[in-house]
Amino acid sequence: MNNKSENFASMKRKQRIGNAFCYALLVLISVIWLFPFVGLLLQSFRSYATEYGGMVNYLVPKNFSLDNYRFLFTGETNFLRWYGNTVVIAIFVSIGQTIFVLCVSYALSRMRFKGRDFLMRFWLILGMFPGFLTLICLYFLLKQMGLTQAGAVPGLILVAVASSGMGYYVCKGYFDTLPMALDEAARLDGASRARIFFELTIPLAKPIIIYTALVAFMAPWCDFIMASYIAFGHDSSYNVAVAMQRWVFTNDYQGYFTRFCAGGVLVAVPVTLLFMFLQKYYVEGVTGGAVKG
Amino acid sequence: MKNLSKVLMGGMVATLIASTTVMADTEVKIWVADATVEFTKEKAEAFLAENYPDYSVMVEAVGEGDAAQNMLTDVEAGADIYIFAQDQMSRLVSAGALEEVAPDNVPVVTESNDAGSVSAAMVGDVMYAYPVTSDNGYFLYYDKSVVTDPTSLEAVLADCEAAGKSFYMEINSGWYQTAYFFGAGAQLTYDTDDQGNFTACNTGYASEQGLVALKEMIEVASSPAFVNGSSVGSATNIGAIVDGTWDATSAKEVLGENYACAKLPSFTGADGATYQLSGFGGFKLLGVKPQEDEAKLEVCDALAAYLSSGEVQAARYDAVAWGPSNLEAQKSEAVQADEALSALAEQLAYTIPQGQYPGDYWTLATGLGDSIIAGELTAETSDEDLMAALQEFENTCISYAE
Amino acid sequence: MEKKTNPVVSGVKFLGNDLREIGTTFKEGDWKTRLSYLIMGFGPLSRGQLVKGLSYLLMEVLFFVYMVCFGWKYFSKFTTLGTVETTKQHRVTVYGDNSFLILLFGLLTIIAVLALIFLWRLNVAENRKEELLLKSGKTLPSNKKVLGSLLDANFDKTLLALPVTGVFVFTVLPILFMICVAFTNYDANHQSPTNLFTWVGLDNFANLLNFGSSGFALTFFKVLGWTLVWALFATFTSYFLGMAVAILINKKGIRFKKLWRTILVMTIAVPQFVSLLYISKMFAADGLVNSYLMKWGWIRTAIPFWTDANLARVMIILINIWIGIPYMMLIATGLLMNIPEDMYESARIDGASPFAMFRYITLPYMLFVTGPFLLTQFTGNLNNFNVIYLLTQGKPQSIALSDNAGQTDLLVTWLYKMTVNDTNYKMAAVIGIMVFIVTAVISLVVYGMLPSVKSEEDFQ
Repeated sequence: MNNKSENFASMKRKQRIGNAFCYALLVLISVIWLFPFVGLLLQSFRSYATEYGGMVNYLVPKNFSLDNYRFLFTGETNFLRWYGNTVVIAIFVSIGQTIFVLCVSYALSRMRFKGRDFLMRFWLILGMFPGFLTLICLYFLLKQMGLTQAGAVPGLILVAVASSGMGYYVCKGYFDTLPMALDEAARLDGASRARIFFELTIPLAKPIIIYTALVAFMAPWCDFIMASYIAFGHDSSYNVAVAMQRWVFTNDYQGYFTRFCAGGVLVAVPVTLLFMFLQKYYVEGVTGGAVKG
Repeated sequence: MKNLSKVLMGGMVATLIASTTVMADTEVKIWVADATVEFTKEKAEAFLAENYPDYSVMVEAVGEGDAAQNMLTDVEAGADIYIFAQDQMSRLVSAGALEEVAPDNVPVVTESNDAGSVSAAMVGDVMYAYPVTSDNGYFLYYDKSVVTDPTSLEAVLADCEAAGKSFYMEINSGWYQTAYFFGAGAQLTYDTDDQGNFTACNTGYASEQGLVALKEMIEVASSPAFVNGSSVGSATNIGAIVDGTWDATSAKEVLGENYACAKLPSFTGADGATYQLSGFGGFKLLGVKPQEDEAKLEVCDALAAYLSSGEVQAARYDAVAWGPSNLEAQKSEAVQADEALSALAEQLAYTIPQGQYPGDYWTLATGLGDSIIAGELTAETSDEDLMAALQEFENTCISYAE
Repeated sequence: MEKKTNPVVSGVKFLGNDLREIGTTFKEGDWKTRLSYLIMGFGPLSRGQLVKGLSYLLMEVLFFVYMVCFGWKYFSKFTTLGTVETTKQHRVTVYGDNSFLILLFGLLTIIAVLALIFLWRLNVAENRKEELLLKSGKTLPSNKKVLGSLLDANFDKTLLALPVTGVFVFTVLPILFMICVAFTNYDANHQSPTNLFTWVGLDNFANLLNFGSSGFALTFFKVLGWTLVWALFATFTSYFLGMAVAILINKKGIRFKKLWRTILVMTIAVPQFVSLLYISKMFAADGLVNSYLMKWGWIRTAIPFWTDANLARVMIILINIWIGIPYMMLIATGLLMNIPEDMYESARIDGASPFAMFRYITLPYMLFVTGPFLLTQFTGNLNNFNVIYLLTQGKPQSIALSDNAGQTDLLVTWLYKMTVNDTNYKMAAVIGIMVFIVTAVISLVVYGMLPSVKSEEDFQ
């Protein structure tokens, strides 16, 4: 009895030490993970008037101010326009991709038709070509449709949505787990495929719809390759990523670093909040996707 | 008859293609660096309103590097008039992105601009662009409180080291690298034909002089004060920086009352002799895109001539401090008094006017510079190996002209 | 799986049967059917099948309109990719043939022709079907029913019509185009619309395998090597460390689990072009990290994070962990909960150490479940553009590498530079094909070895 409780006590102690070690590790990890964001935030508040906007070798600004944010909002650049473009692209891409993915997933998961295997295998093979291979071709295709430069915003939406059917894996995997018996019962009651799709499957697929829409919504915020290739030379068609990466990469923009940081914060905050808010669905999606492959 | 069918065809095509293209016929698209958008727009609008009221302008912020790249991607969607740095010239000509300067304008351009800028605007015997600046060269900005003697590279480095400050020079750029090679007496120039094809390469990099230059670069790169870079905005710890006039405002901002500038320093080579750092005297040029419409070409020619004229160059100096290539504008008091431009002018005596170089040269030079910075070539590397690297470099340079 | 047959033999057999059936349909068919051989959809139309008939007819009309107004003028020049040079007429530029558009729309026309042949064959089959149905005394389905079936039995066609068209126009056609480009001399000196380009056979592939100083081979294999090394490290470091962090957070007695997770997933939420660009500046020669280390006197000269090739590679892999861990952590957290607790319990009673439990219970389970995921991660990392481009743009370059390739370039970033900076489209296309081959080979080989796949009868 005595022995046992001593044992228990030593185990407790061991566990406590172990936990303390774990906490230390977690705190360290958190510091590393948050450091760049803190740095970004601090720099965005650096005073442009007294410390200029270039890069510096200290973390905490000597003077805090809203200079950089003011610069973005007072119309010296097209920042609001770029931001608006990105929001528009993100919303439409999100809606379009979700619709496409749902259609493809339902057809592949629930229906058996001639060419189904061929289609899946063919798309799998297509996916093995590197994405930027076709940059020049996409540009000229869109140009034929008048969707470059001035028309780049709808053009980018079109490109992102058009091929999105190929990204059906996660969603189809989810549909596969919905019991077939439900569909069969509904069909016995005389419901058409379309009715089952709209009234049965879609309501059940809420988590995966949110996941798909969320992932699709986040991607355009980071698109500076395709967007700059298609919109080049037309400032009012840029998205935030295209416009702001120039502030870092191009020598024409001296002293824009803190402005880049401020813009970066403005981009990151809403996307991060949305992500955090819908995190549950994201986790469900990636976990399901990982297991299905 | 032929004309009629042409008109008919044109009409059909025009209706087929989106209406934007139709409008573009009377819209002159101009690309300039962000800082000069407002200036250019004002000038161009005033000019067109007076001379060609049917035409309008659209000015977009596309920097000199991006402009050339975008023109190469799609000439048709590119600007009608654009400013570019002269190193892009031959690429642009061979890709068909530059129209020859209107014959009427050639004598005027030749007479009114400095000789270097005029030769920079030529490919072979043909003039393809209008010079707008003669300030595309580099010199030394430094912090007065750190650097005491800007005439000696060794002293500059020692001062920076002592003060814990950095010496910035972008030695992995084919543009800045020539400061060492040309300074030590090695040369590298190319001849082209009228279409922008390279016909010959005159080089002496694989030589005693080349070796001196390479060793000096290795030496500089090994200094703890050395940082590879040439942009004031991204430099955090400037003791001295080799940079151009376009960064003058930033440099003043960052260095404050310790701001100073001078011609590039000289260095003591591995052979004990003293060499003055050289480099390129470069130019910014204004180009007109080949046009399918004669009337519009005329407008573009006139507008380009105007935007590169002495009057506008002087005004451009007042607005954004770009050093003019126009001889009259160069004489203005403001230009004469400009510290940065004076330093550049002083440096100019030691440079060669930048001619045409193949695009591949720049990436090749970056490879050489990166190899030095990364320590693939070091002070311990034997002379034979260094010479072999130079020989390889020279051979590759020559191969571009074959 | 079907029995293995020689595809050529079965292909020829299939074609033979098909031709025979077309013949039979014609021989046994009535005049309506026979006329349908010329005017598609005539048979169904005359039998009252308006929807089907009109669709076929419309397709045929569209095809001919396309060919006459558009397709033919490109298709007819497909073999040369254009011969008319750009000329000057009194300073005005008159553009000649546009090789790019000839290649693109020539391809589209070839596909259109194939599609029409396919539709024509369906049209013949439809006539046959209808005739046989009528002969056996049955009635044809009403037009309403045909339309209605698009929402029911044929709902898959409705659902897939747009997505498949989209993939065709914006993925299949461009990829076919780029494959063709690999066999042309489309580069900076042969650029549309001013200059023509043309077919050059296998020249570009020969260039890729040329080990001489003007060839691509040395650089190509170096870049390929680093691409593979990178993908391997990027995948497995994130995988194991992500799992470790998940286990750490899931550990009994650790509180604020949600907080730790939230902190980590910030890296997924914040757009990479913001976070990675900031990080790349942080590690610059005179960046934040070096400056503080020097200020504190820990180092005397700056650490060459981005300028030393090997260090840059290590940095990229380390920073990729920063992005990869949270992602894997989320996945592992969900999966670890699926492992029955009593397995650990009995192991604990047997006196197994935590490491042994990880080694013999957790890891095998995880590897089994996430096998295909690891494979997609690996192939994804082969083409992981953002991390490399935002951190180093492939730099540093070196005299040991040619053609603008850098020491940290992956094949895909190199390809990008060729496309955008050098407009060397022909070699970009060749590299793209190589990436495809590498990805496909690795996928096939690894896929066959995956335990979780072997135990499933079907590959979905």
